[in-house]
Amino acid sequence: MSLEQFTDRNVGQQHYFKVEIDDYPQTGWEKFKQVTRRALSGELFVGLWVVMREMIKFDIHTVQYPKEKLPIGPRYRAVHEMQRLFESGTERCIGCGLCEKICISDCIRMDTRIDENSRKEVTEYTINLGRCIFCGYCAEVCPELAIVHGPRYENTSEQREHFILFEDMLTPIDMAIKGEQKEYPGFGAVTPHEDARVKKTPLAY
Amino acid sequence: MREMINFTIDGRKVKAKPGETILNVARREGIYIPTMCYLEKTTPAASCRLCVVEAEGVDGMVLSCQTPPTEGLSVVTNNATLYEERTNIMRLYDVNHPLECGVCDKSGACDLQNKTMEFNVASQHFTAKEQSRKIEHWGLINYDPNLCIMCEKCTHVCNEVIGDDAIELKFGGYKSTIIPKNSEQLDCTYCGECIAVCPVGALVSSDFQYKANAWELERIPSTCAHCSAGCALEYEVKTTGAAVPGEERIFRVTNNFEYATLCGAGRFGYDFDLKGEKDADAFARAVSALKHAEAIRFSSIITNEEALILQRLKEKLGLKLYNEDARRYMAFVEAFGSTADGKAEPATLDALKASDAIVVVGSRIATDNPGIRYAVTTAARHEGAKVVYMHPLEDTLMQNVVTQFIKYEVGTEEGVLALLAQSLLADVETNKTTAAFLDELDDGYLSAESNVGEEELEQIKKQFKRAKAKTLVLGSDLFAHPRAQNIAKLAGLLARFGGYRVVIAAREVNTVGASLVCELDADNGSDANVVGYNAQGSFVIAADAKADLVVAAMNQQEGTVVSIDRHLLPMNVAVGYEGYVLNDLANTLGVGKRYTIDFTAELPTEKGFRAVPFDMLENFYSPTGEDHRGYLLAKVKKPAAQKCEVPEALPEFNGTVIYRCNPVLQFNALTARTSQLERSDALRGSEQFAVAARLRDGDLVKIGEGDAAHSRAFVIDPALKGTIALEPTFDRGFAADGNVYRFEKVNIMKVSNDE
Repeated sequence: MSLEQFTDRNVGQQHYFKVEIDDYPQTGWEKFKQVTRRALSGELFVGLWVVMREMIKFDIHTVQYPKEKLPIGPRYRAVHEMQRLFESGTERCIGCGLCEKICISDCIRMDTRIDENSRKEVTEYTINLGRCIFCGYCAEVCPELAIVHGPRYENTSEQREHFILFEDMLTPIDMAIKGEQKEYPGFGAVTPHEDARVKKTPLAY
Repeated sequence: MREMINFTIDGRKVKAKPGETILNVARREGIYIPTMCYLEKTTPAASCRLCVVEAEGVDGMVLSCQTPPTEGLSVVTNNATLYEERTNIMRLYDVNHPLECGVCDKSGACDLQNKTMEFNVASQHFTAKEQSRKIEHWGLINYDPNLCIMCEKCTHVCNEVIGDDAIELKFGGYKSTIIPKNSEQLDCTYCGECIAVCPVGALVSSDFQYKANAWELERIPSTCAHCSAGCALEYEVKTTGAAVPGEERIFRVTNNFEYATLCGAGRFGYDFDLKGEKDADAFARAVSALKHAEAIRFSSIITNEEALILQRLKEKLGLKLYNEDARRYMAFVEAFGSTADGKAEPATLDALKASDAIVVVGSRIATDNPGIRYAVTTAARHEGAKVVYMHPLEDTLMQNVVTQFIKYEVGTEEGVLALLAQSLLADVETNKTTAAFLDELDDGYLSAESNVGEEELEQIKKQFKRAKAKTLVLGSDLFAHPRAQNIAKLAGLLARFGGYRVVIAAREVNTVGASLVCELDADNGSDANVVGYNAQGSFVIAADAKADLVVAAMNQQEGTVVSIDRHLLPMNVAVGYEGYVLNDLANTLGVGKRYTIDFTAELPTEKGFRAVPFDMLENFYSPTGEDHRGYLLAKVKKPAAQKCEVPEALPEFNGTVIYRCNPVLQFNALTARTSQLERSDALRGSEQFAVAARLRDGDLVKIGEGDAAHSRAFVIDPALKGTIALEPTFDRGFAADGNVYRFEKVNIMKVSNDE
C-alpha cells in the first residue's frame, strides 16, 4: 500500500456500507410489540444451546484461569523482584540508590546505613506499586542486576502494602541456594555476547 | 598599587593583578582549566598537574595554579598535547581506584568521577599491584586509604587554615597515605574541614557514611548558630524512612570549602532542633506571664527579628529588656568608639586574615571563636603574621601559630592594655591629651602587677616593626570586666593612633544584632516576674524541651543574625517546627506580623540596617568567591569623644581561680544536646593545679558556695599549665553568665566519691 492510499481519508471512495437499523419505536403500541418480540422469541435459547453443545463436546479452547495460566514473555515487566547472589545467597542490592534516582514516577524509596563490617546496608526499601508505571528503568539502571521485573502480575491483596516491601520482593534464601532463582533477561540484563565485549584489566601479578 | 600585567589566555586579552596566578585569572575570566588538588584558600599543593598550560617561549608545560603571568605572555589552556597529558594523569589516578561508586558517599559529587568522565577514561591502561590497606576510624572521621588520591588538600587545609596540623602525608610513592601527625590516633579539634575538602570519598564523616547519596539531600543555605563568626553552611536535609514516611531530618552539614571554613560545632553539631506541637495551655500561660511581667530576659542566641519583636513588646507593655551579654558588648563597643575617633568600625575576619601583625587579648580564642582562630592561622601561614597571644592561660591549640605568648595576671587586663598602648604608641605621633595620658601611666606598677615585662613589650615592638596591617583581637574576658569601659577606651587609642584594626569577639551568635536592635536595661539579677526568652526567669520560653513554653530552635526558623564583621546573615528553616513561635505571642499581644520575617525590613536603619525584606537577601558565594550573603551594616556615626582614665589599683586574684571556658566544639545549650559532639563537663586543671588544690584525677568536687554551688568531676588535662582550672558553661542550660567576669576565685571542695 502506498503512502497516498494510506493517508487518503476520503470516506466516500471506499466500499463502505450502512448497517440497517430499525427505526426506534414511536408509539406505545410499537414499544409493546418490540418488548414482546424480544422476550418471547427463542433468541435466548439459541445462545444457551451453543454453550450446552460446546460443553458436552469436551474440546475447550478457553484457558482455565486461575487454575491455568498462559505463559508470558520472559521480558514481561510485572511486580519487581529482588535477586540474591548464587551460592552465597547474599542480597545483591548494594544500596547505591540509582533506582530511586531514575524512577520517573518517584515510587522507590530506600534507607541505608553502615553496618558492623563497614559495608553499606539497606535497612528499608519500598516500591509504591500504586504509583509504579512498570517502565523498567530501575531494572535497567541497576548495576548489580539486583532489582528485576518478575512474572507476577496478580496484584490482589487486602492491602497494597503487601507488595512494596523489600522482604516480600526478595528471593527466598532457600530458593537462591538451590539455584532456583531465575535471571531476568529484560532491559539491563547481561546480553548473550557480553563475554566477548568485556575488556580485562591488566594485572601486575 | 603596582600595575596590572597584560597577557593573553587562548588569544583573549586579560589582566592580572600582581601576585595573581594564571589559574586565578582564567577562573575570573570564565576560562576553564581543570584542577584536582587546587584549593582557593590554601597555597597550591601542585600535586595533581591537571592544571598544566602551555606558555609561549617556555619549554614544556607550566602549572597554572602556582605560576604568575609575565607581561605579554601568551597562554594556551587546551590543545591536543595538553588534553593527552591530562587524560594520562586521569588514567593514572584511576589505576586500582576501587569501583565502589555505587556505595561511596562522594558519588555524584566526586571530582575524580567528574574528571574521569570528562577525559573519557573507560578502562585501565596501566597496571599496579593492588594493596591491602585498612580503613581507619578516627572518631568523627573515617579514612579509607584505598580511595585516597593523595591530592593533599586535607593536609594543606589542616595546617594552613585550621592550625591543628594534625595530619600529614606519609611518603612512599604508590604506597603513600595520610596519617595522623606525631601520633597513633588522630588528635585534633575535629573541625571536619578535611572531610569537606576531600575530592573523593576517602575522608568521610563516620556518622553520615552510607546514610544517603549526595543527590538525595536537599541543601538549605543558612548560617551557623553557634558563635559570632557567622560562618556560612548548608544544612542537607532528607526525609527518613522508606516503609513508613518519616520526618525531615538534617543528615549532614556542608560548606563552600573553597572560600569559607567551618568548625566542628557547625559541621557536626546540627541536630539541636526540637519537635513541637501547639500547646494551647502553655501558650495562654506565656501570654499571661508576659502581660504581668516586669521584664524579659533573653540570651543572644536569637535572631534580629525576634529581638525586634521583644523590643516592640517592651514598647507596648512597658517592660524592661535584660541581656547583659549584648548590653555589655554595646557599652564596650561605644567606649571603644569614643576614643577610636572614626575608626570605630570593628575589623572583619577577612581583614584579620590579611594582617601581618596580630595581638589577641582576653580570650581563649581557639575555643571561644574558631572563626577568629582560623583567620589568625590563615594570616600566620599566608601573610607570615606575627601573632602575640596575651592571656593568663597558655593554649596548646594556638601554639602552632603564636609567635609570642605573654602571660598576664588574672584581672589585670586594664593594666595590660595600658602597657600595650604606652609601648606601641611610644614612637607614633598622637595628640596632646593622649601623649599626656601615656606619660602619666605608672608603667612600673602596671608591669609589676600584671606581670607583663618591659622586655616582652619591646619584643612585640620589634616583631611589629615592619608590619603593614596590624589587628588587635579583643576577647570576651574584657566585656564583663569591672573596668571594661576603660579597657575599651585604651584599645580605641591603639586603633586611632597605632593603626590597629580591632576585632571585638562577641560571645554569642547574635550578640551584635541584639545589642543594635534592642534598647537594653541593666539586669538586677532577680528572677521574680521576669520572663526568660532562651534565658532564666520565673517563666521560661525557650528552644528547650523543659521550658514552660517550647519555641523553635535556631535551625528551625527564618531570620537574620549579625556577625562580628557587622554582616547581616540570613538563616533558613532546615527542619520544620509545628509549635508556637515568638511571633504568635506577639500577635496575641498586638505587635506581631503575619510572619516573623516580616520584621526584617523594619530593623532599625539608624543602627546601620537596611530596609530590605528577608526574601530579597541572598546567601551564597559566587564561583570566584565574592560574598553574596545578606549585607554589611552601614557605618554609624561615631560616639562622642571621651578620655581614658589612668588605671588605679589592679585587682588581685589569689587562691583557687577558675576560668569559665568551654571545651573544644562546645558553646551553649544547643551544642550540648547534639549527638555527635563530645560533652566533657568536667572541671579541667593542670597537674600543678591538682597539687595545689589537693585533688586527684577523677575526684568529684563541689565548686562555689551557697546557691551557686555545683559539683563536677575533676580531671587533669596534661595540655594545661598553671594554677587556673577551666570550668565549662555549655551544660548549664540557659543560665545567663554574660554579666560576670570569666575568671572567678572560688572554693573547691572535694566531695567523697563514696556517696
